[in-house]
Amino acid sequence: MKAKKMVALMLGVTMLAAAVTGCGGQGDGGSAGAGDAAGAGAEGGASSDGIVTLTFFDKNSGSNTFDDPVARAIQEKTGVTVQVENPTGDPLEKLNLMLTGQNYPDIVLMDRGNEIVNRYIDAGALIPLNDLIDQYGPHIKEMYGEVMTKSVYSDGKNYYLNNWYGVDPDAVAGVLMRKDLLTEIVGEERANSNDPFTQSEYLDILRQFKEKYPTIDGKESIAVTLDAESKNYEGTLFGMYGMTTYYADENNNIMHKAKAPRYQDAIGFMNTLYTEGLLDKEWVVNKKEQWTQKLSAGNVFSTFCSYWDPDSANTSLASTVGEDAKFYSYKVVADGVDPSETKYSGRSTLGWDAIGITSNCQNPEAAIKFIDFLVSEEGQYLMMWGIEGEHWDMVDGKHVPKQEIVDGFKTDFDNTKLETGIRKWTWFIKNGNGTDGSPYDVTKYETTELTDFANASFGESDRWDTADFTGLEPAGSSPEGLKWQKVKDVYDQNFPKMVNAADSAEANAVYESMLAQMEEAGLSEVEAYMSGQYQDRLKLWGMAE
Amino acid sequence: MKNAVPAAARPHKSVRERFWEQRYLFLLLLPSLIWVILICYAPMTGLYMAFINYTPKGNGYFADLASSQFVGLDWFKYFFSTDFLIIMRNTLATSLLTLLFSFPLPIILAICLNEVKSEGVKKFVQTASYLPYFISWVIAANIFITFLSADGVINNLLMAIGFTDEQILFFQKGPYFWWIIAIANAWKVLGYNAIIYLAAVSGISQDMYEAADVDGATRVQKIWYITLPALKPTIMVLLILAVGGVLNTGFEQQLLMANDSILNYSDVLDTYAYRYGLKNGMYSYGTAVGLFKSVVSFILVMGANSLSKKFDDNNTALF
Repeated sequence: MKAKKMVALMLGVTMLAAAVTGCGGQGDGGSAGAGDAAGAGAEGGASSDGIVTLTFFDKNSGSNTFDDPVARAIQEKTGVTVQVENPTGDPLEKLNLMLTGQNYPDIVLMDRGNEIVNRYIDAGALIPLNDLIDQYGPHIKEMYGEVMTKSVYSDGKNYYLNNWYGVDPDAVAGVLMRKDLLTEIVGEERANSNDPFTQSEYLDILRQFKEKYPTIDGKESIAVTLDAESKNYEGTLFGMYGMTTYYADENNNIMHKAKAPRYQDAIGFMNTLYTEGLLDKEWVVNKKEQWTQKLSAGNVFSTFCSYWDPDSANTSLASTVGEDAKFYSYKVVADGVDPSETKYSGRSTLGWDAIGITSNCQNPEAAIKFIDFLVSEEGQYLMMWGIEGEHWDMVDGKHVPKQEIVDGFKTDFDNTKLETGIRKWTWFIKNGNGTDGSPYDVTKYETTELTDFANASFGESDRWDTADFTGLEPAGSSPEGLKWQKVKDVYDQNFPKMVNAADSAEANAVYESMLAQMEEAGLSEVEAYMSGQYQDRLKLWGMAE
Repeated sequence: MKNAVPAAARPHKSVRERFWEQRYLFLLLLPSLIWVILICYAPMTGLYMAFINYTPKGNGYFADLASSQFVGLDWFKYFFSTDFLIIMRNTLATSLLTLLFSFPLPIILAICLNEVKSEGVKKFVQTASYLPYFISWVIAANIFITFLSADGVINNLLMAIGFTDEQILFFQKGPYFWWIIAIANAWKVLGYNAIIYLAAVSGISQDMYEAADVDGATRVQKIWYITLPALKPTIMVLLILAVGGVLNTGFEQQLLMANDSILNYSDVLDTYAYRYGLKNGMYSYGTAVGLFKSVVSFILVMGANSLSKKFDDNNTALF
């Protein structure tokens, strides 16, 4: 009896120990990340064989290792080998941990739009690149040009280089509809046309769809569903009403999107979808997985997102229903908005990522030379097209990819990437075309029908530069940062309430109370801060008087 | 039942003498002592972050810790003046509901299993109930979301038996979320905790049951007068631990199952500290929330422990 009690006690004590360890780890951000990057600082010097090793945190690298044909070619060209540090879980969390413990690797790649970039610069974690570029970076100067002047920090120096920078003419968001179902409702000619639909036409199509197909394959049909996790519907919904990240008035004062003149119209539209039973009742529960699953199941007609988001659903629909059953991207123009005023195609000319050299790097000279090669046209084609003679040829002074590479990327993107190493390392990538007119990105050499359709649906006027508004948010550790987080929480909670309101009166009531709550949380102070940042930026870029 | 010789009965020796006598035992203890200090106590120095406005400046972690501005209890004040009530309500509601299921169910399961005569059935049930413990929350959360969706199994079942005419949107009604998490938590730990009770049950001397048989006791009487009293120490230990963990209502399950529309009900201390502290880099604020949680948990464990001392002899208390 006593022995058994001891067993139970032992078990209990072990569990308590586990609990205490858990508590100990709770309050401490720094210790968890301390182990994995501890070795980073010691490296960076040249080893005996003249090969320099650089450690590199890439938030997009997944579980890639630097050992493919392209990686070997990069190493041969630059004498640098890269030890990639892959993100585990949320990259932002790891970046934050590395910053607290100050054990970041030699080079870090992070989301340019997040204020983590400013935090790294403020902390002295990134070193200024200007002198290094003047000395060792002729290609960087040539390729980046104006992008560098626009990316300077408030002290006038450049602390990072952009990734996926330059003008990208391609479409982004759209109202996606199943072409086979749309054909049955409006006829083949209209479904094949890229002309925009008006909002009321679109609503009408949705109503007809629900009437025609109350159920599909025994399941209740869904006219529109959304992915509430990644919120990729925002580009479509707000693009339809010509809205951008924030609302800037004529005096360049930044205001929360919810204060934009057409915001309530957009909410009214969503509310109409919901009250008429056109919007998936459970849209707010949908994570990416549920959303993809629903689109693939065949009973969904339309969704709001970027045209490439439902790729896997399209593949599965093409095999289960038919080639035509894919989601095509159409333009819908809101009531009271001119077709030239919609803002569907938000692209950043300053890129998506920021890549900087950290203060832990022992050999910044080798790092900048390595970067200069990757930035050059030769480096770009190496990363994005592969090796000359093996993956592509020069024909009449033009880059021409081997057909198996083009087909490989169309049919099995991920495996082709891993086998060849092409497009596996996407660092300092420039959008658009090289000097010979071929696209820097080999996957754009031959585009799919879906891409062509999306590009034809949206025009020049839909394009806007998201870079104007990125990085205005206050830093997390500042008082404004805390308020901004609170404001975002209030907004995120109230948006579904407005959309799912019983009628427009209730939606308006929620809207009013949301504005009040946001104000209470300190919105005006945050807006004042962001307006200041925005006006400074315009001055810096020479866009204001 | 006293498990050690009372100190007074030992021959009087100085601490040093006793230490020297037991030096090899202490040597054996040394590695784990170092481990505990390094892994459990050393990181706690980071708790200092809760009282400063930690901003990394690139001079090394400790130098920055020392040079950051001291703000005293400002972070705590901010927390108590803004989100404290809602976050605490969610945390307590979720964990008390969890306790409601996950505390009695394993005891009942263990006792039932003990009564099963067929070894095969017993083993099967034990394994099946233990399995959820090994399923990761990512998968478990998706199972729950699918089962509870508008056209999921649960809704179809409820409509088939006429319980409801309209689909219930489980994940869009705030307080439902507490119940869902509580049931999910209980489902996951049921088998695991039952094993601890089973171990205790199997240690009960068969003589007692035989004696009870002779006295003509029924099954229920045997459970009530023999099994349950024998389980009491184990029950108390697990209850004390559970009370200490009341603020540990989980983290992944909330992150994975919640959505924007019910954030007001799903946000618990852990997810709140994570969202602010790690995702938005408000290190000090996140630390303050985490520290608050640790302190309250500590008080709860000590409280439950001393209560169990009061209500019983020393047997059931942990320390």
